[in-house]
Amino acid sequence: MKLDPAFIWTAFVQLLSVIPTTLLITAVSVLGGFLIGTGIALLRLYRVPVLSQIAAGYVTFIRGTPMITHLLLIYFGLPAIVDAVSESLGSSFRSVSIPYLAFALIAFTITASAYMSEVVRSGLLAVNRGQLEAAYSIGMTTPQALRRIVFPQALAASLPNLSNSLIGMLHGSTLAFTVSVVEIMAKAQIVASTNWKFFEAYLAAALIFWGLTVLIEQLASRIERRINVYNRGGVA
Amino acid sequence: MIQLSRITKAFGRHEVLKGIDLTVGKGEVVAILGPSGSGKTTLLRCINFLEKPSGGTVAIGDFKADGKHPSKKEIHALRLKSAMVFQHYNLFRHKTALENVMEGLVVVRKIPKEQARAKSISVLEKVGLGSKIDAYPSQLSGGQQQRVGIARALALEPEVILFDEPTSALDPELVGEVLEVIRRIAKEGITMIVVTHEMGFARDVANRVVFMDEGLVIEEGDPKEIFARPKEERTKQFLKRITPEASYSI
Repeated sequence: MKLDPAFIWTAFVQLLSVIPTTLLITAVSVLGGFLIGTGIALLRLYRVPVLSQIAAGYVTFIRGTPMITHLLLIYFGLPAIVDAVSESLGSSFRSVSIPYLAFALIAFTITASAYMSEVVRSGLLAVNRGQLEAAYSIGMTTPQALRRIVFPQALAASLPNLSNSLIGMLHGSTLAFTVSVVEIMAKAQIVASTNWKFFEAYLAAALIFWGLTVLIEQLASRIERRINVYNRGGVA
Repeated sequence: MIQLSRITKAFGRHEVLKGIDLTVGKGEVVAILGPSGSGKTTLLRCINFLEKPSGGTVAIGDFKADGKHPSKKEIHALRLKSAMVFQHYNLFRHKTALENVMEGLVVVRKIPKEQARAKSISVLEKVGLGSKIDAYPSQLSGGQQQRVGIARALALEPEVILFDEPTSALDPELVGEVLEVIRRIAKEGITMIVVTHEMGFARDVANRVVFMDEGLVIEEGDPKEIFARPKEERTKQFLKRITPEASYSI
């Protein structure tokens, strides 16, 4: 095999066109996962009867099964449910009109939500109980205290973990490939197989992922510096 | 006026408060003394329901709440009428001194921002921190943090300020500046209930001292009277231990 450096560049340029797909999958799953995860974390922290047990079960099942399994279960299971529901409602909507991308978004949001719930929970646990008491003592309601006092500090405390999860989901988004979503790795394979230059194409894909990851790292450290002005460093 | 009647509190099987009655008049400064574990802090925290009493009633002004089954609304109303200064300051870590003081005014009292800001600055000046309004708690000394804590409570103009061992976590050389601020606001006629180990402060500033032990009020009355001539044996023992100069002969 001979390396074709020029083809790395050709592949690289072609791969750029599908970056938005990868970013969309990552952003939707991380944001959706963060919201659902926050809900799960609150249910568990406040030990809401029944719901907190369900939430705990959900987290252990999702974290106990691979991401690709979630994707395949949603891909093969959801259409049956959707069709049954829409039929019973007399709707003409059928699952075939659901785009492939939607399955990936739903499945990865579920994956992310389980991991995010633990990230958020650790952030919330890092906030001193005295902060909440002080908020109550000046007359805040629980929603006010959570929104204005607890969440901002919890978010700051969980930033390193959040960027970790974000990077994990960025790389995990490549699994969408298995349900025919053309993201970076799928595109790399298409580019490669039409030219029989797999190594070059995958190398280009690697460079793109690395570049995106570096961007996330930079962004995270900038936000961390801004959000943490009030901290005088943990143990250092 | 604050009226606590038959307040009880149990943590599991352990009875911390065994039926406390306490009335504090408007403008009165009441110091609660007693050995650790006597329930002073728990009693104070029952007043604004940071701790839910197991029984009894709490009344501030004409507002009364049932200790055992308070509604959310009742708890909220009591908290609007009181403010607390904590042993460990509990300043909002992500907010500056000014924002700490403004927070309650803007979010809870819904006072327009500019007005709240002006008021907060003037209260911070009053506690001697006019030059530190933009500092975060982590940039302040313990004494300064506690003064911000006092300003945060003071700005709300509550009917009563609850002090939970406000100087216990401070370095000895910083205790004075905090006591000085409390002394000054006591003179302004603000109703205060102070749980403290500072006997000198209790003697000089309080109108009344309440001595607690094992979840009961053992003795209460005029500070000069109690410090000079305690009636109860347990008060005598406690005062002897805490003011050792009387028990040593050199």
